[in-house]
Amino acid sequence: MEASFPYLLLPSVWASRNRARRRQRGDLIRGVMFGGVGLIVCAALFQGAYWLTAQLESYEDLGDYLLRLGLSWLFLTFLSFLAFSGVVTALSTFFLSEDLRVLLAAPLPVRRLFHARFVRTVAQASWMVVIFLAPVLMGVGRARCAGAGFYAVAVLTTIPFAVIPVAAGTLVTLLLVNTFPARRARDILMLMGLLFAASLVVLLRFIRPEQLMKVESLPDLTDFFATLQSPITPMLPSFWAGETLFASLRGGVDWLHFAALWTTAFAAVVVVRMANERWYFTGYSRAQESPKARFTQLRQLEAVVRWLPLSTVRRQLLIKDLKIFLRDVSQWSQLLLLMALVLVYLYNFRVLDLERIPYMSGVVKNVYAFVNLGMAGFVMATVAVRFVFPAVSSEGAAFWIIRTSPVSLRDFLWSKFWTGLVPVLALTEVLTIAGNEFLGVDPFIKMMAALAIVFMSFALVGLAIGLGARYPRFNADPTQVAGSYGGVAFMIQAVLFVIVMIVLLGWPASIYLFQRARRVPLTASQQILMTGCFASAAAISIATWLTSMRSGVRALRAMAD
Amino acid sequence: MSIAIHDLVKTYGQFTAVNGVSLDVQPGEIHGFLGPNGAGKTTTLRMIAGLLKPTAGRIVVNGHDLANDPESAKASLGFIPDRPYIYEKLTGGEFLRFHGGLFGMNGGGENPIGDRVREMLELFELGRWENELVESFSHGMKQRLVMSAAFLHRPRAVVVDEPMVGLDPRGARLIKDVFRKMSERGVAILMSTHTLEVAEEMCDRISIILKGRIIARGTVDELRALTAGDRPSAEGAEELTSVFLKLTGGSGLQEIDEIV
Repeated sequence: MEASFPYLLLPSVWASRNRARRRQRGDLIRGVMFGGVGLIVCAALFQGAYWLTAQLESYEDLGDYLLRLGLSWLFLTFLSFLAFSGVVTALSTFFLSEDLRVLLAAPLPVRRLFHARFVRTVAQASWMVVIFLAPVLMGVGRARCAGAGFYAVAVLTTIPFAVIPVAAGTLVTLLLVNTFPARRARDILMLMGLLFAASLVVLLRFIRPEQLMKVESLPDLTDFFATLQSPITPMLPSFWAGETLFASLRGGVDWLHFAALWTTAFAAVVVVRMANERWYFTGYSRAQESPKARFTQLRQLEAVVRWLPLSTVRRQLLIKDLKIFLRDVSQWSQLLLLMALVLVYLYNFRVLDLERIPYMSGVVKNVYAFVNLGMAGFVMATVAVRFVFPAVSSEGAAFWIIRTSPVSLRDFLWSKFWTGLVPVLALTEVLTIAGNEFLGVDPFIKMMAALAIVFMSFALVGLAIGLGARYPRFNADPTQVAGSYGGVAFMIQAVLFVIVMIVLLGWPASIYLFQRARRVPLTASQQILMTGCFASAAAISIATWLTSMRSGVRALRAMAD
Repeated sequence: MSIAIHDLVKTYGQFTAVNGVSLDVQPGEIHGFLGPNGAGKTTTLRMIAGLLKPTAGRIVVNGHDLANDPESAKASLGFIPDRPYIYEKLTGGEFLRFHGGLFGMNGGGENPIGDRVREMLELFELGRWENELVESFSHGMKQRLVMSAAFLHRPRAVVVDEPMVGLDPRGARLIKDVFRKMSERGVAILMSTHTLEVAEEMCDRISIILKGRIIARGTVDELRALTAGDRPSAEGAEELTSVFLKLTGGSGLQEIDEIV
């Protein structure tokens, strides 16, 4: 009863320890892959920060000014991220977490529970920011040859800097949950977050950051930074953190802003704690109520599907899959981000100014057509691992319904295949055809790429469905399924497949283009070679598609063992 | 014979969960399947439903061998699992229409599924929830929805795993009435339960399984006679409880006083 609040964090610590101890198939490969990518990203951030800081040093006062603004801007970006992350995390840790039923039934003082949950919220909401921030600050420190004091100040600045926005986020969540049902609030937040991310992606691309790298645009750059210096900026913790670190970089200590950070952090915790003591239980109680959920009946969808030439079983499976997907905000909202990325992708090809290379533009355009094809292949693999690979796992604990019904597992899996194929094929065909159209590539390459996408879609969707059936995770959400051993295995195989396809298509296409540029007809042996390469690409695609589907059906049947 | 299983065996590595179980359920019979936790009840029922593959033995459902002709066997069988996991993002009506579709029931024409769906929802007192998402259903409502799905396609045999878990007294009464009516119409029901008064009240015959083997079978009276000789029973369910405990090796009740 008198346990202190860190005691309440023990279950999370033990669970993490048990997860770390647990050995599962694919741990090594997953660790190497994710660890490797993480290291590369951290190294790039470190190197980027180091290079930029070293460059700015040569501008003397202007360099210092830009560095100071840069730090403030960096913290401002993280501030908004932390506040939003705090809202979402607090919703889960304070209101939706399953273990709250046990904790709230125990004779625990509200304050102790708040402290434990708040520490957890801060940790969960800010770990990603810390991981990104650490290499950046290390790069800046190294470039300025900062001493150990700078790194100590960095740590002591980051803690209150993370606490303040997360406390604000927690307060917002408390108010939200007292206004809306918790699950509805989560859906609204998820949608808002993804819309925010999607618009950010589009906005960042449309301001064309590559322009900022040009020397002649340097005045614009300073203007750009200067606009961030609005009158309210000095009131924000991001400004205080930036100033504290900048002072530390120059060997001094900015006690004013350092104290502002810590006192505000303490004050924020005290205010949120008071609000929590006043409104938490009411909010939690509301979160337990499950009023009739609002949703769309999607009757038009049923009407459309009825027109498709499908058997009753396949029609019902399709309707079920589509309705479940479209009614789950956490599922369909990710499509918004995908659409933003597609827009950026096409925009890149639109603004690609290849005409600047007078003699080579024709060759470069056709080379870019293969870059486009490869990129479309990778987009296809990414979309497939997120949306198609979890198709079998998404049946979840309700899979018994399919397995006890008179539907063959083969029919079931093929239904999943067709449901996944149509959107993946449509998306990547649009990307490829539109990209090649913007580039103005040779008609032969255009046609070949469009046809290649058809074969690649069949192969990769088949591979995703087959591996998804071989390595299902019925108790995980689709994002976790995509990151599981099977998901990683799929990505590796998919990337290899795309590379093989690019080689098999690119080589004969280059022969064709080369001969055409020289205005020499193709020889018989070249024609045979080209046909052989294209036939091999088609055969590999068909073999990947069919063998994956067969092995998926076998794996589903073996589940009964 | 609606459900017939012969020498059914299921092993997991060295562990034998079901060891040579044979039983049959006649049309119109309600057959109780009792046993302590971990005795092999759910494993046996899951094998009959086609969720698990037997290591050895044969399962015949309404004349269809489950191993050779699984689709015909499943088409004539209804299965009600112990935990009602269903698609949370479908409405009650949509779930039933989907389930009917899996059993080949069309949306209209000769096989009007809409009427049948409403009929089943009314029968299980879920009519006003037809257009509500399953995620807003209580456990008992989900259980009743799964039952309405199991009876939707008019199966000739039904396998039920713990039907009364999570049901309120009204729901339990309803389920008992539905099962009785179905059995009167010739539906064979094989039901596992821990509620011995339900078994006594409803079952024509009972099989008791322990450590993967059937150790006793018969009507309630025949089982009583097995343990109490020809002493007449007077205390109903309690008597069946002691029969069950005697057959399955006692309960260690004597230790409770010491612990409490």
